[in-house]
Amino acid sequence: MEAKGRIRQAFESIEAGEKLKASTESFLREARRKEERKRGGVIPKLLRRVPQLACAALVLALGIGGYVMLLVPVSYVSIDVNPSIELELNRIDRVISAKAYNEDGEKVLEALSLEWKHYTDAVDLVVESKRMQPYLAGDAALTFTVASGSRQREAMLLTGIRNCHGCAGYGGTSVGTDVDMVEDAHESELSLGKYAAYNILRQYDDTITAEDCRNMTMAEIRSLIREHENCGENHETDGNEGDGNGSTGDHGGGHGAGSGGDGGSTGSYGDGHGDGRGYGAGTSEDGGNTGGHGAGSGGDGGSTGSYGGGHGDGRGHGDGRGHGAGSSQEDHIGYGASGGQEGGRGHGAGGHGAGTN
Amino acid sequence: MRSEAETNRAIRQYSDMIRRICLYHLKNAADTEDVFQTVFLKYLLYDGAFESAEHEKAWFIRVTVNACKDYLKSLFRHKALCLEDLAEEAASIPPRQHEVLDAVLALPAKYKDVIYLHYYEGYSAAEIGKLLRRKENTVYSLLSRGRSILKETLGGDL
Repeated sequence: MEAKGRIRQAFESIEAGEKLKASTESFLREARRKEERKRGGVIPKLLRRVPQLACAALVLALGIGGYVMLLVPVSYVSIDVNPSIELELNRIDRVISAKAYNEDGEKVLEALSLEWKHYTDAVDLVVESKRMQPYLAGDAALTFTVASGSRQREAMLLTGIRNCHGCAGYGGTSVGTDVDMVEDAHESELSLGKYAAYNILRQYDDTITAEDCRNMTMAEIRSLIREHENCGENHETDGNEGDGNGSTGDHGGGHGAGSGGDGGSTGSYGDGHGDGRGYGAGTSEDGGNTGGHGAGSGGDGGSTGSYGGGHGDGRGHGDGRGHGAGSSQEDHIGYGASGGQEGGRGHGAGGHGAGTN
Repeated sequence: MRSEAETNRAIRQYSDMIRRICLYHLKNAADTEDVFQTVFLKYLLYDGAFESAEHEKAWFIRVTVNACKDYLKSLFRHKALCLEDLAEEAASIPPRQHEVLDAVLALPAKYKDVIYLHYYEGYSAAEIGKLLRRKENTVYSLLSRGRSILKETLGGDL
């Protein structure tokens, strides 16, 4: 017989028994019932997805939370001598990015990797770095400027910076400023610290531009400010009592007046006659973003202006001048200046001005 | 999901074929029942449409062959297949065909599909190639090797 026929016949004899067919049919009935229950069940399709959706939402929330926590800058620390460097900090005070705002700053940053370091470590690294040393020699004015969305954080950051050796070891000063200023500063391509100083200077001299400031060292800017402040003062006095107070203004302006005996004090606005009166004039934007700067002098000494209200730290110089910078937010009362709170004793001591908020 | 009428028709239509494929793959009635049910369950849940009866048949062949292979894989350590399970059927098979069937069952696994599909189902080498996803030339050589083995076992009369 032909192969095909034989094999075919052999297979032909194999059949699926009725028993097998029946058991398969009943198996399928069972399977169909189960499947129907599953598909058309009481729980709507969407509801069955709830665990998956919850999972997805959780992952999303974690992602967004992590992003906000780690990658959104909430505070800014600007380090200015001549190199201008600005650190952006996230919510846990770690450096997200470090930017240089001039060539000197770039040179310093080139050698450093600051990302994800705690800000105090970053400040130390910058200030103590080899390339920074030439700029810190002599009478360089190392300035830290801090801006943060919340006063509390700002105060904390300031304390942190004051306590780290980078600041303490090099005689740095640290000031707080308003976070809104950050944007303006970046628009003018200045670091926060320089921009704050530029703002002070601009009040005396509106010919000065951001461009000019970019190329000036902090020491230069400061001495310019000092010069301007000083030119209103032409009387010296040995007045023996000075009394100054900073007034508070809702708008953060303030004036500090100090009167010292018969002695001449000067206000920034130059009414430096001998009655020892100083004004702190405040300019305010939106409620004391910048408080006025006030200068008062008692006697020949001790006046302080606080620049920018808030808790600017006014410093009294021997010449009875000072400026401080600070910021205050809308709901903060800015002290303009307290000129010669203790000043004006006629002995040329530096006044002490403090601004608080 | 397919209707009961549909699955019952499929069972009537393809049971024998599936049984045969299971036979030469599994040689065991209990295993056969498992695979049998698996194949029809797949059919029940398969929502795709078939272009023709031929298409449907080819689908069944593929699914059955794969189900058998999967089953063997999963039961790799299972006891050796026992030919005695064929006993109940053996009684009804004429001795002459029994001999042929034994020879086919004794073939190495790779030849059985092509031998069955070609000699019983009448598929051409090209069609078998498509069904089993093999090259046509591979099918040709499997066929001729399988045939010569069968000739050897059954004597020259094949």
